[in-house]
Amino acid sequence: MTTFSVRCFAITACSVSLTLAATIPRTADGRPNLSGVWQGGGVSLYGEPGAGTRPAPPPPVNPPPKREPIPYQGWAEAKSKTFTATDDPTLRCLLAGVPRITSMPMPFEIIQTPKEVVIAYESFHAFRIIPINDKLQHPNDLVPTWMGDSVARWDGDTLVVDVTGFNDKTWLSGTGSFHTEDLHVVERFQLNSDDTITYTATVTDPKVLTKPWITGALLRRPPNTRVEEYECIENNQDVPHMAK
Amino acid sequence: MKIPSRNRLLLACVGVMLSALPALAHHSFAAEYDSKELVTVSGVITKVEWTNPHIYFYIDAKDASGAIVNWAVEGYPPNTLKRTGFTRDDLKVGETVTITAYKAKDSSSRLAGREVTFPDGSKKFAGPAGGAAPPTDAK
Repeated sequence: MTTFSVRCFAITACSVSLTLAATIPRTADGRPNLSGVWQGGGVSLYGEPGAGTRPAPPPPVNPPPKREPIPYQGWAEAKSKTFTATDDPTLRCLLAGVPRITSMPMPFEIIQTPKEVVIAYESFHAFRIIPINDKLQHPNDLVPTWMGDSVARWDGDTLVVDVTGFNDKTWLSGTGSFHTEDLHVVERFQLNSDDTITYTATVTDPKVLTKPWITGALLRRPPNTRVEEYECIENNQDVPHMAK
Repeated sequence: MKIPSRNRLLLACVGVMLSALPALAHHSFAAEYDSKELVTVSGVITKVEWTNPHIYFYIDAKDASGAIVNWAVEGYPPNTLKRTGFTRDDLKVGETVTITAYKAKDSSSRLAGREVTFPDGSKKFAGPAGGAAPPTDAK
């Protein structure tokens, strides 16, 4: 490659990057504006698989990381296989935890202010009030909970959320994906020029994992959707049916 | 294998969609229903429960011996149905519908509803395709 073509490439790459940065909506304080209703999947977002009920969206400009198997330690891998779908906490309408809540096939709304970010989830009526705190300092009186304690800071245009203080009762993802109270999740929310959010979660739990597990989701704005009530326990017949 | 760039884009798109396609909101389809047992049932709606976490409607249909069986049909959550254009008013007690549905693994008279054909011939999806459920991350 000649020096000239390298320069052209660099200039083009730079201008593309500037264009991307310039085309996302921003708040009055200059941050990417994440506010609005988002969803990570489900038929109400993408339509029925293969039914052609909704046109496929264009490929995302910034795809999330490919989901890898959870890197369990040997004993933990064996233990995870002892669980069945009947053991799933969400089967009993219990809170899904982080990062699993993000991939539920239901919308959630992000409400962003300079001092805090609130996420109101339709699924299981979950909510997170996330203070912006550059030192990522958690309260010192935490008692383990289902959704943990979240604090956030801005890393350039990326909202980084640090979550700790979990109980050991949620699952990370699919059947048997247990963890301990040492679970620590770092989430990254990147608003893209195609009006998507690239969501990445780095999950560490040295008591059961051999290395951090990285997962993610592409969040889109579901059309004509508002977050509504989901009283999951109202008519939950699946527990007795599956326990048969 | 070399994949043309246009197809690569398409594959990437499909890959992202597949990874983001959960089945039911709060439980595993495969744990309760048999995705290989897709049946067609015609009958009269006797009751509608437009409830969370999943709707149920009940239909009376004759079995092979002519006896009436009251089938309990489970579907998507109400909000999901509303957003896909399937409203509470679509299911009317007393009307005859034809459904495709997956049988429960315990051989009970419960079904996971898939496609509903209404008296005017129109069709809507009441629940997921069994085969569409990802193997483990169906939440």
